[in-house]
Amino acid sequence: MKAVETMDRGDALLNIFIGMFVMFMFLPLILMMLAAFNSASPPSVTSWEELTLAWFPRLLAEDRLIGCLQNSFRIAVFVVPASVLLGLSAAILLTRLEGQATNLLYACLISPMLTPGIVLGIATIVFWRHFGVGADLYTTIMAQTTFIASFPMLIIMARLQRQDRAQEEAALDLGASPFFLFRRVTFPFLLPAILTSAALAFLLSFENYNTTVFSIGGSCTLTTEIAAQARRAHTPVINALGVIFVTVTVIFSLVYTLRKQWEK
Amino acid sequence: MRGKEVVLEKVSAKFGDFTAVYPTDLVVNAGEFFSILGPSGCGKTTMLRMISGFLSPAGGSIRIGEDLMAGVRANQRPTALIFQNLALFPYMSVWENIAFGLEARGVSKVERRKRAQELIDLVALSGEEMKKPDELSGGQRQRVAVARALAVEPAVLLLDEPLSALDLKLRQHMRAELRHIQRMTGVTFIYITHDQGEALTMSDRVAVMNRGLIEQVDTSDRIYDRPSTPFVASFVGENNILRGRITAVEDGVATLESELGALRGRAVAGLAVGVDAMLFVRPEALRIGDESQSDNRVAVKPVRRDMEGAYVNWVLSAGEQSIVAHMSKAADAGIDHDRSMHVGFAADDAIVMAAGELADTGRQLADTGRQDDEAAV
Repeated sequence: MKAVETMDRGDALLNIFIGMFVMFMFLPLILMMLAAFNSASPPSVTSWEELTLAWFPRLLAEDRLIGCLQNSFRIAVFVVPASVLLGLSAAILLTRLEGQATNLLYACLISPMLTPGIVLGIATIVFWRHFGVGADLYTTIMAQTTFIASFPMLIIMARLQRQDRAQEEAALDLGASPFFLFRRVTFPFLLPAILTSAALAFLLSFENYNTTVFSIGGSCTLTTEIAAQARRAHTPVINALGVIFVTVTVIFSLVYTLRKQWEK
Repeated sequence: MRGKEVVLEKVSAKFGDFTAVYPTDLVVNAGEFFSILGPSGCGKTTMLRMISGFLSPAGGSIRIGEDLMAGVRANQRPTALIFQNLALFPYMSVWENIAFGLEARGVSKVERRKRAQELIDLVALSGEEMKKPDELSGGQRQRVAVARALAVEPAVLLLDEPLSALDLKLRQHMRAELRHIQRMTGVTFIYITHDQGEALTMSDRVAVMNRGLIEQVDTSDRIYDRPSTPFVASFVGENNILRGRITAVEDGVATLESELGALRGRAVAGLAVGVDAMLFVRPEALRIGDESQSDNRVAVKPVRRDMEGAYVNWVLSAGEQSIVAHMSKAADAGIDHDRSMHVGFAADDAIVMAAGELADTGRQLADTGRQDDEAAV
C-alpha cells in the first residue's frame, strides 16, 4: 500500500511539473495573442479596453513591415537551397571518407553552428567589404548560409549512416553509373531527410536575428524590424502578425500530424 | 544467356597486415554451378568481392571468358552479385527492381516491362509485379533478387549466402529452384556458403576453403568420399578421428599404430612411415557385432543410444577414445546395450592422412560426442 501512495504522490508531482512547464512555454504566447484582440495600444492584456479585430487590417497598411517580411522570404529562397545542397555534399563526403581527416573536417564544418551569430555576421561584412561588396541582403544570405548549412548536414548524415551500403553496391553491380545510382537509389532514400532539413533551414533563416542584424546593413527582415519596433513604443499590429504566424504554424503541424496518422 | 568461365591465377587479398586470401589458382567452368564452402572468416566472401570487382586483389589476375578484369569496375563486369541481405531497392516495385539494370543501360520502358515480365514468369512471381519488397515473403524477395541479377544477362552470377535468412523448408525449396534456374539459363553460378548441405546438393563442383586457402576442389561425391585434407574430412559431414603413427604404406593402404591397435585405411598421397597421422572413418561406415569382421576391428563399450529416425546414432567408447556409429534399424535390433562388443570397418572406407588442422565445427564426434549438437539446437 505504501508503495502505491508514494507512486500517487510521484504522479501528482509530475503533473504539477508538466503543468508548470507548459505554462512557462505557452503563457507568454497566449498573452501576446490576447493583446492582438485588445484595442489598447501599446499592447496590453491587463488594461482591457475593448475586443477588436481592427489591428489585423491595419497590418496591410504597414508598408515597411510588409517590405521587411518580403526581404525575409527573399533571403530564405536562396538560403534554403544553398544550405541543403552544401549540407548534402558535406554529409556524403563525411560518411564516405575514411581516416583521421574526417574528424577534423567534421569539426570545421560544424564550427559555424557553434560560433556566435554576431561573429559570423561581422566577419561576413568585413570580408566582403574588401571586395567592394556593401552590407545588404546578399551578405545576409551568405552569412546565414555559413551556419545554417550545418543543420542539413547533421540531419542528412544521420540518415546516411542508416543506409544499407549493399544497396549502392547492388546498383553499381547492376551497371548503374554513380549519377544514376544517386538519382534512383540514394536520393529517394534521403528525400525525407532533405525535406526535413529544408523546413528547418527555412525556419532558421526566417527567425534569425543575430547574424542578420549585423550583416544586413540598412535593409531589414521581419525579425530585425520587429526588434527595432519593440524598442520603440509599438502598436498591437505586431501582435496581430504574431497571431497569424502561430495560426499558420499550428495548421501546418496539425495537417502534418493528421497525414502521418492517415498513412498508418 | 550463356555462362563464361572464371579463371583465377595467383589471386590474393590483404587487409592491412592480415592475409584474407593466399595466392589462389582456380578455374570455374562456363555454365557450371560452383560452390565455395567454408566456415565464416575463411575468405570466401572476399573471393566473391574480388570476382565482382568491389575489391582489388593484392596480387594475381582474374579472367572472365576472354577478358582480364584488372581495371574493370564492378559496374562494367559481366557479373551480377546476389547479396546476403538481398539489397532490394525498398522504394521500387518488384518489376522496377528487376528492370533496374536495364534502366541503368537506357533500355526503353516498353522493352523493360517486356523483359521484366519474362523474368517474373521465370521466377514464378506473376501477380506480384506492383508490390514493394517489404510486402513480399522471404522466398519471394529471394526470387526478386535472382530475377534482378539475371535481368542484366550476366555471364557469371555470384551468390553470397543468399538463403541463410530463410527457414529450413523454404531453404530446401529454394535450393531446388536455384538449381533449376541455373540449368535453364546456363549462366555460371558461383555460390558462397558455410552450409555444406547447400553446397553438396546444388553444386557441380565444390571448393572447400579454410583460412584463406582452398584446400580441395572436387565434385560433391568426391568431397564427401575422398577428402584430401584433415580439414575437409572434419568440416564436411561427420567423421570419427583416430590418431596414431604410420608404420607401413603399401599399395595405397596405410597402417596406423594407434591406442586401439593397428588400423588400416586408404593412404592419401605423400604419407611416409613414422609421421603422426589421423584416420577418418564415417559413422555410417562402421559395422557392429557379427558384421564387424573386417579389415579393422575395435573393442568398444556402448555409452548412449540416440534414435535419429532414419538411423540410430550409437556413442561408443574405446578406452579414452569416443566413437560414433550410425546403425540401420535392423543392425540396431541385434545390439545388446549392456555388453562390450566390437565395431569394424573396411580399410577402403577409412582415409589416413598426415595430422593437420581440423575444422572447429563442434561436430568432431571423436572429441565431443553429440552433446554439443543437441545443446545448439
